[in-house]
Amino acid sequence: MILQQIVNGISIGAVYALIAVGYSLVYSVLNFSNFAHGDVLMLGAYIGFFSLMLLKVPFPLAIAMAMVGAGIIAMIIEKIAYRPLRLRRAPLLYFMISAMGMSIFLQNFTIVTIGPNFRTYPDIFPVKPFAVGNLSIGRLDLVILIATVIVLLLLTWLVYKTRIGIAIQAAAYNMRVASLMGINPDLIATLVFLLAGASAGIGGVLFGMKYTVYPWMGVLTIKAFVAAVVGGLGSLPGAVVGAFVLGITETFAAAYISSAFRDLFSYLLMTIIIVARPAGLMGTVAQEKA
Amino acid sequence: MTHLLECKDLHVKYGGVHALRGISLHVDEGEIVTIIGANGAGKSTLLNAISAIVPISSGEILYEGQPLPRKAHQVVARGIAQVPEGRQVFANLTVKDNLKIGAFLRRDAQGVAADLERVYRIFPRLRERENQYAGSLSGGEQQMLVIGRGLMSHPRLMLMDEPSLGLAPMLVQEIFKVIREINREGTTLLLVEQNAHKALAIAHRAYVLETGEIIREGYGQDLLKDPAVQEAYLGARRTARQK
Ligand SMILES: Nc1ncnc2c1ncn2[C@@H]1O[C@H](COP(=O)(O)OP(=O)(O)OP(=O)(O)O)[C@@H](O)[C@H]1O
Ligand SMILES: [Mg+2]
Repeated sequence: MILQQIVNGISIGAVYALIAVGYSLVYSVLNFSNFAHGDVLMLGAYIGFFSLMLLKVPFPLAIAMAMVGAGIIAMIIEKIAYRPLRLRRAPLLYFMISAMGMSIFLQNFTIVTIGPNFRTYPDIFPVKPFAVGNLSIGRLDLVILIATVIVLLLLTWLVYKTRIGIAIQAAAYNMRVASLMGINPDLIATLVFLLAGASAGIGGVLFGMKYTVYPWMGVLTIKAFVAAVVGGLGSLPGAVVGAFVLGITETFAAAYISSAFRDLFSYLLMTIIIVARPAGLMGTVAQEKA
Repeated sequence: MTHLLECKDLHVKYGGVHALRGISLHVDEGEIVTIIGANGAGKSTLLNAISAIVPISSGEILYEGQPLPRKAHQVVARGIAQVPEGRQVFANLTVKDNLKIGAFLRRDAQGVAADLERVYRIFPRLRERENQYAGSLSGGEQQMLVIGRGLMSHPRLMLMDEPSLGLAPMLVQEIFKVIREINREGTTLLLVEQNAHKALAIAHRAYVLETGEIIREGYGQDLLKDPAVQEAYLGARRTARQK
């Protein structure tokens, strides 16, 4: 049943990928890891949940609302928690502290306003899986995979093929020289957070559907962060590769060793990769930062 | 008359380092003005202050008589491009994308296409390498690329920071030819150079910068013959004595 495990691993890897690209995108341009990213995902999960339950919108619209909502929230976080530091050229440590503060605030704000209880998405897709030969593929897993592929393709097109995407890449390489080209660093930061937030938004909905929604679900994204680092922090293809490697490792460890050892084995592998290749799997281009 | 660019009593400090100590200079439309000076004199600091990537502590910078905005991208929008020192290409982008990003603020697709052709005509090597990552170019090719990238914004005023540094003599000739050419085509230039001889030879006017202060100014040709300048920057005691 190796194939079955691969299918399961790809499904969970896909959600990690949606989250990991956000970490990587922000890091590539601003050189720090946005540890409030998980909380943006959490808020996206709630937006999707309440859109479905209270507003009763169709599923695709709920996803769209989660993406837009989370994107805007991420933009606001950048504006109030990071931009003032960036303009004052504060040391990186301050960004980390600010991110942690934001994260704790968002979690507690959610607990106070929405409540600490776990919420379960309604079953939008029939629970009964597809059977393809011996394989059984969950319908939700299939939706997750398709949605991920669409989002990643869109993101890739945006970053690698459009004028503004090339500006993002230029800013990622050297913000100072990019500004000499007429690129506004504030605009790039806003955009990058919007993109990262939107991917986290859909990631949150899919995560919430696969598991549950609760105020501190953002901590789970630490795995996606590790995946992004393993892939080569700052590299989009790296984030995706790292996420799938992590997803598949996890399912294999759970299936063939013990689910209690799942995290132990996957993190061990991740640590080995990092120690052997500090730049990550895809971190080839030396990133020169100014 | 108002100058195209004018700096008045400009001071820049990096923490305790007082890098510019009351610089006043001007550049008129159509000129090539050069700044010469030893390492650490403050030449790059001056260009970066104009480009607004370094904050000024006092003094003012006027462009067409108006204060220049204090954000780098807004300065570019006003028509001032900088070719920074040290071959700062975007190594993660192709040659073509590097050039296109130079035209980031422009909306006239036809003008951009024409300027791309112009850059390729000036530096045929870049056309051959257009789909290659800039990081894989040789040092000289990277220098051609940063100059080409600067031209792509079709600036009214171009600030160039040591464009000939570390290039083979043949290429240095070539770069100075290009500088003359783009000036004839209508771009005003403020040129920082350590190759004082060549810079003074092509400049209309020049300023000599020493530890953050302007110690001499005048026509390029005159400074070229100035014994003190020769001694300090042209390494030419012999010609000084002959004179
Ligand atoms: N970011 C900085 N922080 C602190 N000091 C700086 C900084 N940049 C430049 N300096 C100092 O300011 C002075 C002027 O430097 P600048 O780079 O402008 O010199 P330069 O004339 O361009 O020299 P070079 O010919 O070597 O390029 C030097 O003493 C330098 O050490
Ligand atoms: Mg310099």
